[in-house]
Amino acid sequence: MSGRKLPVADGPTTRRHTAALLRRHSRPLIGITVLHTIAALAGLVGPLLVGRLVDQIVAGASLAVVDQAALIFVTAIVLQSVLVRFAQRKARVYGETMFAELREDFVDAVTALPLSTVESAGTGDLVGRTTNDVDRVQFAVRFGVPRVLVAIITIVATLVAAFIIAPQVTVVMVLTAPIVVIVSRWYLARATPGYQRESAAYAALNGTITESVEGARTIDALALEQTRRDRLRADLREAFEAERYTLRLRTVLTPGLDTPFMLAPIILLLWGAFLISHGWTTVGDVTAIVLYMRMIIGPIWELVFWLDEIQVAMTSLGRLFGVRLVEPDRTTSGVEPTDEVVRTEAVRYAYREGHDVLHGIDLDLRPGERLAVVGPSGAGKSTLGRMIAGIHPPTGGAATVGGVPLVDLPLEDLRGHVALVTQEHHVFVGTLADNLRLADVTASDEALLGALDAVAARTWVDSLPDGIETEVGSGGYQLSPAQAQQVALARLVLLDPHTLILDEATSLLDPRAARELETSLGAVLTGRTVVAIAHRLHTAHDADRVAVVDGGRISEIGPHAELVSAGGDYAALWHSWQSE
Amino acid sequence: MRSLPLDSPGIPDTRSPGRFLWWQARRQKGPLALALILGVLTFASQTVMPYVFGVALDSGLEQGVTPELWRWAGILLAAAVVQVVTAAWGHRADVVNWLRASFASSELIGNRIVESGDAISEELPTGEVVATVASDALRMGDIYANAARLVGSLCAYVVVAVIMLNMSLLLGLVVTLGLPIVSGMLVLLVKPLQARQAAQREAQGRLTTLGADTVSGLRILRGIGGEKVFADRYRAQSQKVKVAGERVAVTQSWLDGLQILLPYLMLALVLWLGAREAVKGNITAGQLVTFFGYASFLTWPMQNIVEVIQFVTRAFIASRKILKVLQTGSATPASSSPAVMPAEGAELVDEASGLVVAPGRLVALVCQDPDASAAVATRLGRLDDELEDATPVRLGGVLLRDLDKGALRRRIVVGEATPHLFTGSLRAGLDVRGGASDEQILAAMHVADAADVLDSTPDGLDGEITEKGRTLSGGQRQRVALARALLTDAEILVLVEPTSAVDAHTEARIAERLAAARRGRTTVIVTASPLVLEHVDEVVLLEGGTIVARGTHRGLVTDTGEDGRRYRAVVDRKMDTHDSQTPAEVTR
Repeated sequence: MSGRKLPVADGPTTRRHTAALLRRHSRPLIGITVLHTIAALAGLVGPLLVGRLVDQIVAGASLAVVDQAALIFVTAIVLQSVLVRFAQRKARVYGETMFAELREDFVDAVTALPLSTVESAGTGDLVGRTTNDVDRVQFAVRFGVPRVLVAIITIVATLVAAFIIAPQVTVVMVLTAPIVVIVSRWYLARATPGYQRESAAYAALNGTITESVEGARTIDALALEQTRRDRLRADLREAFEAERYTLRLRTVLTPGLDTPFMLAPIILLLWGAFLISHGWTTVGDVTAIVLYMRMIIGPIWELVFWLDEIQVAMTSLGRLFGVRLVEPDRTTSGVEPTDEVVRTEAVRYAYREGHDVLHGIDLDLRPGERLAVVGPSGAGKSTLGRMIAGIHPPTGGAATVGGVPLVDLPLEDLRGHVALVTQEHHVFVGTLADNLRLADVTASDEALLGALDAVAARTWVDSLPDGIETEVGSGGYQLSPAQAQQVALARLVLLDPHTLILDEATSLLDPRAARELETSLGAVLTGRTVVAIAHRLHTAHDADRVAVVDGGRISEIGPHAELVSAGGDYAALWHSWQSE
Repeated sequence: MRSLPLDSPGIPDTRSPGRFLWWQARRQKGPLALALILGVLTFASQTVMPYVFGVALDSGLEQGVTPELWRWAGILLAAAVVQVVTAAWGHRADVVNWLRASFASSELIGNRIVESGDAISEELPTGEVVATVASDALRMGDIYANAARLVGSLCAYVVVAVIMLNMSLLLGLVVTLGLPIVSGMLVLLVKPLQARQAAQREAQGRLTTLGADTVSGLRILRGIGGEKVFADRYRAQSQKVKVAGERVAVTQSWLDGLQILLPYLMLALVLWLGAREAVKGNITAGQLVTFFGYASFLTWPMQNIVEVIQFVTRAFIASRKILKVLQTGSATPASSSPAVMPAEGAELVDEASGLVVAPGRLVALVCQDPDASAAVATRLGRLDDELEDATPVRLGGVLLRDLDKGALRRRIVVGEATPHLFTGSLRAGLDVRGGASDEQILAAMHVADAADVLDSTPDGLDGEITEKGRTLSGGQRQRVALARALLTDAEILVLVEPTSAVDAHTEARIAERLAAARRGRTTVIVTASPLVLEHVDEVVLLEGGTIVARGTHRGLVTDTGEDGRRYRAVVDRKMDTHDSQTPAEVTR
């Protein structure tokens, strides 16, 4: 299957979604801004008082003046601290709330992805988005948003105050502004690709570790230790190169930003002396401005750091929002099926345009029959299965149930009609019961045990430490592939669709176990229509009818005995398999 | 700048997080020393400004730009240059320290994983193990990245204290004694924060596991239902993370507020006392500014100290998680004094079942319960010592667990029923031992009838196998894994159900080619498929964990005795085993 990649939201789309998110949460944002602004203003009192005191002391002040100034200062400090405390709490809770909404919306969107997208896009990309991208964004939202707010407010408030108090002194600072702007822009323009390379390198590293954990046994069995070590070292090497590049960027940025900040007091001292000697300002004002300029160093650094992080987070955000851009692959027509007859009419399908995998398949499933689909690899058996299961809309013709195209049904209804079981299985983290209840949330324990009984899984389930309440999946009790597949089949029993597509559902089991499973399942599936796509011919033998698919067409169809005596391809296949 | 990773991550001290962190520090003492020196210079140069500025103020600014002022400006400039240069290089040194520590941890973790065999996934969830590299290793490295900041801050503190005590004993004492008290109070607040942060990280870890799990099984969720349940489950955990985050926010915001309140009250005290001293004429106006400058400057090193304490607590939490992985045992621990390896051609004997694998023979292991035969075959390769404690296997009379593991793996290779395919080129994935020619690789693929895999990857042998071989079908994956096992050219090759996922035509082809390719080489195949059994030298029937019958496939199929009956009960393909019809009659 050629994997169709999941979309990534572009810049404008990402910004639009972000703006919408911020708008939804604008109220606390306003509150936080107001609190921080007042706090920042309170923080400006100190340097101003120092300046005034310097002038007053030089002029000969009394102790009472000093006491009064100290009192004002203390009041301002207490005010600032209290405001910051509440603002920060609000801001951090705000970050948590926004981020929780973001990740929950993302997972909602992921779990609502169209069937056809999920089938063709593969899960690697999605796992990356769920873990790495969510983490990236989390960092920016949880910590960045509050910090950026504080930084911007502090910078603006301080500069405005400095210009109001002593414009003639402050104006000289305009000289340093261009350096700050030029260096920051140079850096920010290069930072994003640099940090993206870094995160790609770390993602590859994490991928390697994941693989090593999941394949630990194979590594041991095939003595792949050295290969895996080398792979890890190659990943670390790439991470190092990526880090080295961004470090180079910062080696320009750091002195670039430091230099103007370091020059500021020197310039102010000389410029101030010049102004003072002409009587155009006071020592106190120069002192206050110097102290102010020192106060904004921290916030400017913080701003550059976070702008950078936020740029990187925006690309991750693009990947999160991208999931929402997937168009639904079906529109519900609202027409109700008249009966439970599934049929295909001249169904064609092409994964790539012009390359039909199915060339017009007509197939009437008789309710309650068991149809085996056999044929060589690549003949289109699985694709046909997907059509009958309503996963992909056919590119030509129609697959219908009760006269309604399967892809016109709402997903919940579709599952009640047709279900597809493939050889791919996954045991979810949770109890065995949780794993079964996917198919029927309301199922009682008895129903679960009954379903397990039906798939001949009771023996091993009963021997589990906590029975169906045993924790399974990653970190829990490890089920064997056969057991996992039995769980998958038990889900089907609970789901209770009238038509089942088994796409080599038992191929990971050994033949004997597969046969046993199918036999026991057969008892439960009586009265259900079953389409079994199989490598194993006993499945075909047991079936009511056999359809041989070859080159995207049904070449033979009929009961097993009929086809065998007809002496066609199927008969040849049967003899070869019988081996005698 | 030395390239990373280094040649070896070393042998860590895993006794406790503290020892582990200290061990790593010693391994990078050179870079750490450099970082510390640069850090000290950066902070020391910053102590010049308030002092010189105060002196300059007193020198009489009303006289304008005098030569004396130029001199003070020159000194400030020199200090500024030192600061700019050492800060830039100090940052480089910090990053080097960070990378060295976290890369070393990542490599240690990675190496531990590949040496643990089964043990790692039995003891820890995959998500947690991955998190140790994805985040804990980086958090652990933070200590080394911030060491210079801590030491520089402490030095700056001392320098400033000395200067201030010289200018005014009263003010100097107030500042030098007051600030540590303030820091101490702030540190006390870190305690509850640490506990809450740990709770949040725990919840966060579970959330990530849950998210990855949901997405990995998405095909099933979308096909069968349950996506709502899973989205709700994620949401519930997400809300738990949020609540834990809000708890952190409450504690953290108190710390945020107090980080302003306490140092600034100190500053106010200094200003008040200093201004009074100045009014009394004990200090100059310039010195007042110097004091104020120092008292406010010192909040920066102090804030650093508090922050680094947070980093340290995080690094300890992270190290504990890293150690959890590093302390994982190995499913097959190396023997300290391995026994002498028996010569080639030694017999492999499974004592519990009585299976004797004679050299040079192709043997099939047949059992009604495929798990039982797979278990026997698997232990021939010694993959889990603890599990197989009671079922010893000997090669040439020596217990497998007493042999050198690496040497054993070269001689005996087990291809399991559910092998893992790794990402990378098809060539690298197949030729795990390295050094096979393209012809050899293609020959092995021919035996495994896997030529169609080559067609499906556009670049042939250079084509990429994606994660878990997802772009390949189950049958293709199995055949690639078979070719991979064949390419090891092991003296003893054990294959568990190598053809269970392929169709009959293919299975017949593989069986014939496999028998030819391994002719004269010791091979054990677990299977019950007549297509394969027909081609082996000997079949061995396993029942109740022991060997009950042996012979050729043909011989046992036609055997009229008890052995034949038992054997046919397992391998007979007739749809109804009670049916006495021969297959020929069925197909007539």
